[in-house]
Amino acid sequence: MPDLFGSLEPLGAPSRPAMPRARTAGLPTVRDYSVALLNSVVRELLESACPPVWVAGEVTGWKRYGSGHCYFTLRDAEAQVRCVMFRADAQRLPTDPAEGMQVRALGTVTLYEKRGDFQLVVRELEGQGEGGLFRLALERLRARLDAEGLLAPERKRPLPACPGTVGVVTSPVGAVIHDILHVIGRRAPWTRVVLSPARVQGDGAAEDLARAIRLFSRGGGADVLIVGRGGGSAEDLWAFNQEVVARAIAECPIPVISAVGHETDVTIADLVADLRAPTPSAAAEAAVPDARVLARQLAEGGARLEAALRRKLQGARQDVARLRDDLVAAVRAVVDARRMRMALVAGRLEALSPLAVLRRGYAVPLSEAGRVLRRAADFLPGEAVLLRIVDATVGCRIEDVRRDAALTVETADA
Amino acid sequence: MPERTAAGLDQRLRRLDEIVAELEREDLEIEAALALFEEGIAELRAAERTIREAELRIERLIEGPEGVQVEPLRPPEGG
Repeated sequence: MPDLFGSLEPLGAPSRPAMPRARTAGLPTVRDYSVALLNSVVRELLESACPPVWVAGEVTGWKRYGSGHCYFTLRDAEAQVRCVMFRADAQRLPTDPAEGMQVRALGTVTLYEKRGDFQLVVRELEGQGEGGLFRLALERLRARLDAEGLLAPERKRPLPACPGTVGVVTSPVGAVIHDILHVIGRRAPWTRVVLSPARVQGDGAAEDLARAIRLFSRGGGADVLIVGRGGGSAEDLWAFNQEVVARAIAECPIPVISAVGHETDVTIADLVADLRAPTPSAAAEAAVPDARVLARQLAEGGARLEAALRRKLQGARQDVARLRDDLVAAVRAVVDARRMRMALVAGRLEALSPLAVLRRGYAVPLSEAGRVLRRAADFLPGEAVLLRIVDATVGCRIEDVRRDAALTVETADA
Repeated sequence: MPERTAAGLDQRLRRLDEIVAELEREDLEIEAALALFEEGIAELRAAERTIREAELRIERLIEGPEGVQVEPLRPPEGG
């Protein structure tokens, strides 16, 4: 680069009339500059003279261009300065600062030669106040997801009571997967655990987490998903506050338990997940039932089964008893009716019985051969006949036969 | 799937619930009730066996040239 004012040879325009001597007395030789050279020289001067500085102020007119470069003005009560943040630095920002936001910017001063604008090239930008830009990014993302209904309580899906397969998205090494396997192995050792490994912090962690979550919509057969990591600083947990992760969880066809090991800070992943667990161990406990509880439930199930059958059998037994009573009563009714008719018939039979006639004092004469003697002609004097009376048979001999006219009409006709 | 898998367990638990509900119905024939009871007891025994005897199975989900697959994974040592 050219030397500064002192030894620099004039460039550009041919020499002009020198400035009045009085005005330049005591100064180094005055040279002629092009605008471009001037700006270039001033830029060199600025950049070499000013080390990087932190500057506090209020952001106004923030604009992020399609190129990814960001332009804004930083100002305080007395002054303002144009600032630029190039893409490589700007893309590390959690979000764009809000208009009027108090920030601290680390940068170096320079001159934008093309326009002759003095500006601060910002490498780092921190929002002032609690949480700064991170908090703002969270609030913005949260508002956006909320507006889409992704945080609504009614969107939360119930977890399966007894999942056959638990999917886990976390780092393949370290305490988290170990804790989860330990808890599931203790509570529900019949479970299948499928791990989809992912980086949980650092550059690209959010994208890797989202990819690992999405794998479960294409395979693995998980019935419930645990997405998590151990505790850490807000920066360590940052991947769980990013939109790609939130969307991967929201779009996941399987219920998701978030397990970002931090008791106090709630991440966006926690808000979108169907259940938030404070730690990976707690997530594992929420994911699977406890074998002991299940065994108790099974015993209860067996008892219910037996009780239901017993009730059913008892009902059947009562039905049988009632039917038997009904049957006996019906048969008895039939028999009683018959018996009554029989008594009636017996009475009539009795009335017609010859014995009954004999009982009334009549006697039946019989020949010795047992023939009933009905007419006068049947009786021959001197013959023996038998008289059947009610309680005996009496042997008799005929003395004489007197015809009784009053009683002969019928026999005479016969 | 073999009998001792958890998917089987979940199905068994659901079937058990169904059986009990069915048994508690008023209009069930006694023969059907007895058959349901027998089935329920069999499910119960199998579920209890699963809980007692099962071992944790650990796999890793990977995306290969043939799509998303699982491969067996040993539990990590230590903690």
